[in-house]
Amino acid sequence: MEFLINLLTIGVLRGSSYILMALGLGLIFGVMNIPNFAHGELYMIGAYLAYIGYTTLSLPPVLTIIFAAAGTFVVGGILEIVLFRPLRKRSLPGRWIMNCFLLTLGISIILQNTAQYIFGYRYLGISSFWPGTTSILGTITVSNDRLIGFAISALAVLIFWYFLTKTKTGRAIQAVSEDEIGAELVGVNLNFIFTLTFALGAGLAGIAGSSLLAINAAHPMMGLNPLFKSWFVIILIGMGNVGPIFIGGVIVGILETLSYAYFGAGWQNAVSLAVIIIILIVAPQGIFGKKGVQSIWEK
Amino acid sequence: MNIENKSNIILPLLVLALFLLFPVFYGDGYLLRIMITSLIIGILGMGFDFTGGFINIVNFGYAAFMGIGAYSSGIIATRFGISPWLTVFAAVAVSGLVGFLLGLLTLRLRGIFAACMAWFLALVAHSLAINWVGLTRGSSGLIVPSLLRTPSNVPFYYILIGLGFFIYVVLSLLINSQYGTAFSVIGQDLEASHASGVNSTKYKIINFTISCAVAGLVGWFYAHYFRILTPDVTHTRQTVEILAIAYIGGRGSLWGSVISALIVFPLLEYLRPVPELRLIVYGFMLILVMVYYPGGMASLLKFVYSSAKNKVLSQ
Repeated sequence: MEFLINLLTIGVLRGSSYILMALGLGLIFGVMNIPNFAHGELYMIGAYLAYIGYTTLSLPPVLTIIFAAAGTFVVGGILEIVLFRPLRKRSLPGRWIMNCFLLTLGISIILQNTAQYIFGYRYLGISSFWPGTTSILGTITVSNDRLIGFAISALAVLIFWYFLTKTKTGRAIQAVSEDEIGAELVGVNLNFIFTLTFALGAGLAGIAGSSLLAINAAHPMMGLNPLFKSWFVIILIGMGNVGPIFIGGVIVGILETLSYAYFGAGWQNAVSLAVIIIILIVAPQGIFGKKGVQSIWEK
Repeated sequence: MNIENKSNIILPLLVLALFLLFPVFYGDGYLLRIMITSLIIGILGMGFDFTGGFINIVNFGYAAFMGIGAYSSGIIATRFGISPWLTVFAAVAVSGLVGFLLGLLTLRLRGIFAACMAWFLALVAHSLAINWVGLTRGSSGLIVPSLLRTPSNVPFYYILIGLGFFIYVVLSLLINSQYGTAFSVIGQDLEASHASGVNSTKYKIINFTISCAVAGLVGWFYAHYFRILTPDVTHTRQTVEILAIAYIGGRGSLWGSVISALIVFPLLEYLRPVPELRLIVYGFMLILVMVYYPGGMASLLKFVYSSAKNKVLSQ
């Protein structure tokens, strides 16, 4: 029992950053039909910005994370305006997703290698935002950074949730994800919504990358694992499902912890792949797949 | 019409002749080695384009399929002492089989999932190649017997030309058959292909398997030419390079990849000491082609060729 509780706690803590990542990835795919393979690099930008904010600009931790989130938000907006908008005008509708995939791939390569060119292949980290550890339920001890990082993720998700469901702009985003042409007919400015959506998704990745800087140091290739894991979450829960992302993130967090403990670091990916293959065979709609959501099947 | 038909046969033969004459003029040296590496990438690009350019599925783990072929052939040749000339069948079969199974699993789903899963598979192949030291010797590299007992690159070059030409002919014949028609229908508009009764999953799996088998075949050559295999052959970086070459060459052209590899790859050799810049250049070219010139070099060359022909004919 104690083991299970510990596992769940670690899973929740580890999963929280994947939830943030998967939320942005799912939002961008759901609204704009862009499979964003540069999402990990937005996470990386968040981490580098946090490093710069905390060490060079000596900002306090919370401001550092806000600075990083705002920075990635702006980067996301610029990418959308400069690259995806012209592509939207030129691409054939049937080829849009694959064209976007390749475009995000190009962006990812450029960002990754630019980071490597500027900062080199080294880890730029900090010892901690919030020194010390806390024991949870008296059984396990976690660093304050992980705990507060989790709290920040949860807060960001809540704010994002409120924005998406309660505000006018948030509802417009939902409307566009359901019916682009209909939304445009009732006066939604599509260009604005698309730019905002991409920027928001990027901002969420920025929060994920910056809040755990003490645990995952900034590094050119650091985006690979969060990207892989957030795609894992999306496949696990079924495309277009937003609510279950929280459960999906926790499951992936637990799986990661388990495979790390039993198989060692090198075999983690193999375990993940095995689980994904089983899901695709047994429940290709994702384990929370339901009618009405965009399915992963070819129409 | 007549001229069109003739030029369709004459042009490839002319190009082939030029390729065959290359070592006669340049001999065995640095230039020939660059030529071989460029051709390896170009032929891989051709195999990649067979899927990407026709059924519009991006095989984002293509280098892994080459790596799987290379490692299968290398491991069998070293473990059992079998001649590398025979292990070619193993390379093609294993890569094709893995591609078939992956296709079976993912090609019923939306295209992006096939791309995603191919990428996952490549990540796993890479970490297996590193961690399964007993089989692959890990990062220290697997030493593999050479195809020929000669220090010269010239025979290897001719083998590669033969391999490339064989792959080109097979893929072109497929494209011009009823299969090719089905592939293009699927790639252009899926709904129409359903309406016309094409069993799209079947054709997609056939296409994907062949493309993966081609990667295995090139992997076989790679293994027994370079004689050392490291986990890096399966790295996503390699896939990115192949993919960029294929799209810069022009999707749906097959030969465009070879042209772009022969132009882009040697130019980027200058950036070899700074690999980051090399990949940044690839990234920029990929974005430019994607957004502004989706036809790539092939459509540029076709345009030049047809306007030149029109000029000649109108005189």
